[in-house]
Amino acid sequence: MRRRRFVTDLAVSCTGCALAGGRVLEAEPLQDPFAAASSLRVEEGGLNPTPARWFKTLPDGWVECGVCPRACRISEDERGTCGTRENRKGKLYTLVHSRPCSLAIDPVEKKPFFHVLPGASALSLATAGCNLECKCCQNWEIAQARPEQVPSMTLTPADVVALARRKGARLVACTYNEPVVFSEYVLDIAVAGRAAGVRTVMISNGYVQEQPLADLCREIAAYKVDLKGFDGGFFKRHTGGELKHVLDTLRRLRKHGTWTEIVALVIPTQNDSEAEAHALARFVRDEVGPETPLHFTRFHPSYRLQNLPSTPVPTLERCRDVAMAEGLRFVYVGNVPGHPGESTYCPGCGRVLLRRFGMSVAENRLKGGACPDCHRTIPGIWS
Amino acid sequence: MSVDGGRRRTLAGLAASAALTSPLARAAEAFLPGPPPGPKSAPSRPVVAVGRRDGLVTASGAIDPKLLEAALGAAVARAAGEATAVAAMRRLFKPTDVVGIKVNCLGGRGVSTRPEAALQLAAFLQAAGVPADRIYVWDRTDRELRGAGYVIASHGVRVFGTNEDFDDRLVEWGPSASRFDRVLATQLTALVSCSVLKDHGLAGASLTLKNWYGAIHNPNKLHDDNCVPFIPHLVACPVIHDKLRLNVVDGSLAQCHGGPGRAPRWAWPFGGFLVSTDPVAVDAVGRQILEARRKELGLPTLAAEGREPGHVAAAARLGLGVADLGRIERAEV
Repeated sequence: MRRRRFVTDLAVSCTGCALAGGRVLEAEPLQDPFAAASSLRVEEGGLNPTPARWFKTLPDGWVECGVCPRACRISEDERGTCGTRENRKGKLYTLVHSRPCSLAIDPVEKKPFFHVLPGASALSLATAGCNLECKCCQNWEIAQARPEQVPSMTLTPADVVALARRKGARLVACTYNEPVVFSEYVLDIAVAGRAAGVRTVMISNGYVQEQPLADLCREIAAYKVDLKGFDGGFFKRHTGGELKHVLDTLRRLRKHGTWTEIVALVIPTQNDSEAEAHALARFVRDEVGPETPLHFTRFHPSYRLQNLPSTPVPTLERCRDVAMAEGLRFVYVGNVPGHPGESTYCPGCGRVLLRRFGMSVAENRLKGGACPDCHRTIPGIWS
Repeated sequence: MSVDGGRRRTLAGLAASAALTSPLARAAEAFLPGPPPGPKSAPSRPVVAVGRRDGLVTASGAIDPKLLEAALGAAVARAAGEATAVAAMRRLFKPTDVVGIKVNCLGGRGVSTRPEAALQLAAFLQAAGVPADRIYVWDRTDRELRGAGYVIASHGVRVFGTNEDFDDRLVEWGPSASRFDRVLATQLTALVSCSVLKDHGLAGASLTLKNWYGAIHNPNKLHDDNCVPFIPHLVACPVIHDKLRLNVVDGSLAQCHGGPGRAPRWAWPFGGFLVSTDPVAVDAVGRQILEARRKELGLPTLAAEGREPGHVAAAARLGLGVADLGRIERAEV
């Protein structure tokens, strides 16, 4: 039985890694981390119903989910938009706690976090589900699925932290799908990790309500927001959500003092205008902070956006130039391996501080979080 | 009923040729609107047959089988303009068809498609020459089917849940994209929607059109804005639209508020079935019945509660049928 489970779990890991492009975890350490999970009683369909933390009850047995701005009103036996939160007898449950479907070791640069522990490994995990439906979703096989539709493994928060330590990962990254939908699991991992010296970071669309965000920010180390566009109409058409909620999240992250990086996926003909880049950069400068890293990332066709080409590199360069001209200090070009815009430059003296190639750090000249030449402090989490 | 396939085949053929030419053309194929406009040989004045019998549901909640056969049979016959239900089925289905009867069991016992009704439809089909093993009764999961009183069967008339077995292909259908039940996508050639006459807290009403949310992998993504425009575009998808021949709404026990789950306080024995070959017309009449019952009980209209079932009119605008009650013949049989 144990061997069968081991094989199943390995296959699941492979599935997740194939989706996420990460490095498959070797099989040998799996037995110990999963041993603690044997006490979990997983339901038919692989569900692990766990009381949700943020919801309110409504008349007639309905509930209103409080985790994301959709505020789904859910009748008994039904689920919210994310497909992971279910009303059972007038109470809301998350079905994916301790049930990741993807697991891999990635460099933190892949998230991308460029100002968080450069070169560190991150144990990256995902569950099923998402609260948006982006037309270019890269991991739609898991993100646009309900938990029963993807094979998952059992991994408690303690298991996650133990596995991260065993693999030498200094971070746990909640990524691939939208971690807001498994916020309870994120919180529990972050608490368990803090005691063990493993930090937790979120790679998110930023579509989260105020209270869960505040609760998460107390425990996690960093939050990356995928800003899908800066035009409300495009955002609605492309994701099904409302841009204003993501902008609110960015403002709140600043208020909470949580380290934040922003990714803007630039899609040809959709959100690639110079005017939009200006507006985005001004917002980040004025409301999140000019030292906030902003990554302009190259789009590649996926999911329902197969009819557009990959983003031309000059478009990304133009966006970067615009944002720098607006006063942002750390602006990057993403998904273009070898591009000079992948590296970190000192805003004081202009010299390179972190030279990157793809997801690897080729050179790190930072000294105590500052430029070794002009001693300008560089914001981030460096140790 | 003949299926208006000429124009559709042309579109499909064009798409197929385009698909061979370039990646851009292949991508464009995914964005074709899919369903051809216009109902399938629908009459200008569609019939919605309402077959009711006093005593259909007994005091104990059981169904009287003879009254069931009479009520449902009369409605099926009238909807198809035939003398008997068997003649109607013979006209709508071929013996070589693989017929799927999509039921709705979300509400458990009480506000689900009664097994007796689904199996009576299967009996009519068999009498019309469709072999039992080519008739499938299905819904989302075995668990929900059992909860509504069905017995899972792998022989004879098959009864089973999708149980997350979806076709691997992602089908683009306008405002969203879905994977369809594998059997529906790959085996079934003809469909009967056999839904329930009930209220829905978001869509306003969950009748024959919304029943198809139970055939895809991502219904959770499709409830914004009272499910408009999702419901009509889903039904317009060829995998459903091209196969859908008959629409039955089970109102043996109906529910006018508190849906889609079971809310006994708002349930009442309507005692009959609505049947039509026009999926929009049958929903328009069903909605009218729900509103009438709500009025009797002093409940506000669905629109007043902010859940106008706009998907019915939207489906008509998409050419799936007739929503205008003035253009629908409601035949009590």
